[in-house]
Amino acid sequence: MSRLLRRPHLKALPLLAVGWLVAVSTAGLLAPWLPLPFAAGVPDLLHVAEPPSWAAAPQHWLGTDLFGRDVLTELLFGARQVVLLSLPATVLAALIGALAGGSAGFWGNRGCRLPLAAGLVLLAAIWWLIALPGGGQVACLLLAAAALAWWAAPRLLWVGRSAWPLPLDSLFQAAVTLLGAVPRLVLVLALAAGPPLSTGQLLLLLVAVAWPEPARQVRAQMLQVRTLPFVEAARAAGLTTGRIWFRHALPHACRPLRATVPLSLAGLIGLETTLAFLGVGRPPDVSSWGQLLSMLRQEPGAWWLLVSAGGALLFTLLALQQLARSNR
Amino acid sequence: MKYVWICLLLAIGSSACSQLDKHQKHKIVRIRWVRDPENLSPLVQPNQNAVDALNLLHCSLLQLDVATGTHVPALADSLPSVHLVGDSLTELSYQLRRAATWDNGRPVLATDVAFTLKLYQCPGLPNERARAQLSFIRAIKLDTAAPRRFTLVCRGQAPDFRLETGDFPVLPETTLDAKHTLRRYSLAQLANLPGLPSRDTALSALVSRYQHADPSHHPERLPGCGAYRLRAWEIDRFLTFVRKPHWWADTLRPTPFVLQARPRQLTYLIIPDETSAALALRRHELDVLPQLTARAFKHLREDDSTKQELSFYSLASYELLMAGFNTRQPILRDSLTRQALARLFDPAKLLQATQLGQGLRTASLVHPGNRRYYNDSLALPIYDPRQTVSLLKQAGWQRQATGWVPAKSKHTPQPLKIRMRYRADDAVFATVGLQFKSAATALGIPVELLPTEASSLTTALQEGDFDIYVRKLSSTPFAFDFTMLLHSRAIPKSNFTKFSTRTTDRLIDAIAATGAPAQKRKLLRRFQTIIQQQTPLVPLFFLPYRLATARELQHLYPSGYKPGYYAAAATWNIAGSIPAAAQ
Amino acid sequence: MRRWLLLQLGRAGLAAWATASLVFILSRLLAVGTEDAMLSSGNDLQVRTASTSAVARQALRQRLGLDEPVFYVTRISRNSASWRWHGTHNQYHHWLAGLLHGQLGWSYRDGQPIGPKLRTALVYTLPLAGLAAVAATLVALALGLVLAGGPLAASLTSGRAALHLVLSSLQGIPVFMLALGLLFLFANPDALDLLPAYSLADNPDGLLLGAYLLQLIMPVLTLVLAVLPELALPLAAALRHELRADYVTTARAKGVPAASLLRRHALPNALPPLLTSFASLLPSLLAGTVVVESVFSLPGVGRLLAEAAAAHDYPVVVAGVLVTAGVRLLGLALADALYALADPRIRLAL
Repeated sequence: MSRLLRRPHLKALPLLAVGWLVAVSTAGLLAPWLPLPFAAGVPDLLHVAEPPSWAAAPQHWLGTDLFGRDVLTELLFGARQVVLLSLPATVLAALIGALAGGSAGFWGNRGCRLPLAAGLVLLAAIWWLIALPGGGQVACLLLAAAALAWWAAPRLLWVGRSAWPLPLDSLFQAAVTLLGAVPRLVLVLALAAGPPLSTGQLLLLLVAVAWPEPARQVRAQMLQVRTLPFVEAARAAGLTTGRIWFRHALPHACRPLRATVPLSLAGLIGLETTLAFLGVGRPPDVSSWGQLLSMLRQEPGAWWLLVSAGGALLFTLLALQQLARSNR
Repeated sequence: MKYVWICLLLAIGSSACSQLDKHQKHKIVRIRWVRDPENLSPLVQPNQNAVDALNLLHCSLLQLDVATGTHVPALADSLPSVHLVGDSLTELSYQLRRAATWDNGRPVLATDVAFTLKLYQCPGLPNERARAQLSFIRAIKLDTAAPRRFTLVCRGQAPDFRLETGDFPVLPETTLDAKHTLRRYSLAQLANLPGLPSRDTALSALVSRYQHADPSHHPERLPGCGAYRLRAWEIDRFLTFVRKPHWWADTLRPTPFVLQARPRQLTYLIIPDETSAALALRRHELDVLPQLTARAFKHLREDDSTKQELSFYSLASYELLMAGFNTRQPILRDSLTRQALARLFDPAKLLQATQLGQGLRTASLVHPGNRRYYNDSLALPIYDPRQTVSLLKQAGWQRQATGWVPAKSKHTPQPLKIRMRYRADDAVFATVGLQFKSAATALGIPVELLPTEASSLTTALQEGDFDIYVRKLSSTPFAFDFTMLLHSRAIPKSNFTKFSTRTTDRLIDAIAATGAPAQKRKLLRRFQTIIQQQTPLVPLFFLPYRLATARELQHLYPSGYKPGYYAAAATWNIAGSIPAAAQ
Repeated sequence: MRRWLLLQLGRAGLAAWATASLVFILSRLLAVGTEDAMLSSGNDLQVRTASTSAVARQALRQRLGLDEPVFYVTRISRNSASWRWHGTHNQYHHWLAGLLHGQLGWSYRDGQPIGPKLRTALVYTLPLAGLAAVAATLVALALGLVLAGGPLAASLTSGRAALHLVLSSLQGIPVFMLALGLLFLFANPDALDLLPAYSLADNPDGLLLGAYLLQLIMPVLTLVLAVLPELALPLAAALRHELRADYVTTARAKGVPAASLLRRHALPNALPPLLTSFASLLPSLLAGTVVVESVFSLPGVGRLLAEAAAAHDYPVVVAGVLVTAGVRLLGLALADALYALADPRIRLAL
């Protein structure tokens, strides 16, 4: 592929991809302030599902959709949805994935040990939060025990040495296997069988479904990185484990993310579009590309919807793939 | 090897093609359904498709004649004679037809009707809906001298009873209750028992016999005296009904309209997607496509290649699209505010957008075609945002930077904002919601659209968790009973607007009780005027009913009554000499 | 190796049970108005429908078993910190017990047992998914070989680049776009009028195999196009990676022809990535069938799941999730078995 890119006219491909993505993002962010002929969500009831008209008086440059809304406006506000929903979801998923995968890969099952005091505090917090029988009194008892342990740690050897290992890797594997047990679409459909979701809830759902992928990548990379000599050197230099992990090992382990985050974003955009197609999750006054495409089922002759929304979706996904490819 | 593949492909192709002409010669009619009837037990009837299927399998005492729009006798010999008892009971006397028999030759007798009514009230069976619908029948009195004569005793004295009491499928006693155990119980006894499984051994034996027979999925185990029997049923694929070769109504001369059954076989294909169904109709894989949306109808009519082979019908139906206000909300308590918000709907443009101009605008709940009862002095609701502003100001609202707030209010002013609920899966509601939202946003009134699933919509409406709701209301042209919709008794079960005044309550009761047309007209006119003044609801327009069929299929009697066509009377006219019915 | 395989299967089985339990509990906790759905007409709110009394609703709840507590323990009230133990009289226990006996429960919509429903639906989904899996694998192998070129070929001629681009773009297109495109291309009287949109299956001689196969062409094609890139592209990348290895140079020097080199030397070594994606192939196919069956009106498991989710028919949704997780288990087991077959090192280590 690199030899192909040396051909002059194809060197422009990554630039085109980045340019398109920047255009989509700026259009999405600036959409409410752009001077558009029609406002978002306002149906032009006399021109429902009409092809693009450039000559006649109400000029719908890209036509209207099944509710009479102007497709150009819907397209720009749909880009806004992509930027405001899928992009933060991907970034959050990458962050959470990096932290989870990084810690699981670095410490494994025995690396991280909780001192007795911290462990007792954690137990007290859990007991109080889920309101097990005993409630406040048992929590206070545990807190008192934790204070005692913290006081006794430097004095009594056996208290200072006892620490509980946190099985981070097992927890990680369990969580990843749980979320990977069913395909994403099926899981989201099953959870959508309940009450309708708000934007925040949908964002959380997308993050919950998307974080295992970057987490697995970071964990695999971290398993290699932690054996590298500079980590041992840092430990010999006397840096604390936490600092080594956060400032030295983790940035190296996150390298594969540069290539996979665009693909992850593409996957989330595809998932969100399919959800909108199946009619799950968003009220009708929120513009989205998937909703425009879902109208093709009722109005199969609406080629302008396919060309505009389908084209925008296609180019965005292709641009993200190109970005991933050039980052590899 | 290549030739084997070509021959295989040819064989496959030809076998698929040969299906096309068979149906015409064998008098098969194929009709589309959107969903599976799910349950063919007469006690349950979960959706309209199940009701249609039961109408083919069973006979009722009276059935709806779609040609005239009234109930006519089917199993009964004639319309029942009415006798009022005191001031709260009505007695209806029926006589069954002499010719009516079950499949095994036994005649249909009054004991079968008694058994049916008692089965509908028997505890432990899945008859919750039947119980609720027929709860007004308190007793049945049999005539020992005449086994085909009986009298129903009903609670209440509505004049509709004459027509309404006969609309349930009559079931045979001998199938489930050969030992006549139910005869020991009176109808009132069974109705008073709670719906939980009873400890009575006879009743629980009956319940277990019913469950063992499972007529929900094997309707042939509880056979009816209708013209058809179910030959095949593949869930979510198709149902096939075949005509019984010797049916008791064949001997009647002249054949009553409701007792005809022309097609030899009726197949209902379940195609959820309308586009696939339209494609199937064009490819002659389907004969009748009911309940088309406006756009699909338009596409079929405009397509040159197939429009010669199809007939199109577009009629007025009695389904009304309306919006209702929650009158208990503090912002909507004032009728001026409601009138103001009602002017933000644009029925003319909505009609154009969703129904392509077909349909009928109306100013009240009564169909405008009903010239006797429709109040034509009422003005049609129109879109007038300027009047909205002036009415809001009249009602005491003041427009500020943050929105509309009450000019004088004792505590913190509650701004004017609207939450609109409607059923999630209908594009018409979504269009209405979007139009209202854009009109309101232009005036500075924020609107939140809440499309809700059908199952949670009723609960949300009953709890009052909304400000405006949009729905389709099925009305009938011959009865005007607004009790469920606007009476204080029905709050909150079906009166979602929670609107009630003493005047309207009295009017509603009077309208339901009156039989004389002149008096009814006066009351209805007054009622419609009050409703328009108070505006607890905004009637937008009556929806049209659209149907597309194969051109050679005649006598479907398309009408505004559900399901919109009469399948049992359909006939194939192969010669093509009779032109298609009027558009 | 066998222990590791069993561990994988055990873990996946546990995950399947946990996911299904989670979906079950969430659905029961959020189950609002199921009785309303069964009592109302479902189409619109009829004026003439008599009001349903509280007694009728209570009777229905009892019949469906909805009046029992959801789990073994429930919190009594939000403020006080007390839990109540319910013993085995709760919905979760009944569901689990039924599951261990092979019963999946009863649907809310029509009260029918879910097992037979799923079995009937599987009859339509299994041929579809099976055909799609086999066809996708074969086409992916062929395309992978084509894309890899030969040991001496330029890394990407324009033809191969175009194919690569097409496959990458296919990866981005959501399944529903492919399905709609094929439907309107092949079954539209306006365009090529080749295939039936909906075939009548009611034939006295039984379902015509020919008509059935014709009906399956478009859905299978859609599914194949949907999963092809994720099979073919990693295989092509792995093949190209293998072609740079030393043993390929040796074989080329020995005079092995290019095609045979690809098929008999490079391909077996490049198979493991394909097998990894094969493990996730079956669940992706199942997710694809959800959309494909809705568009092409096939009464399979996918459409059952989509309609149950829309109708809040929670038992069917939970059963669907279980089936999907079970399919994933099957995929994992199959992939591990194929690993052993393909790689003699693993086989010998067993």
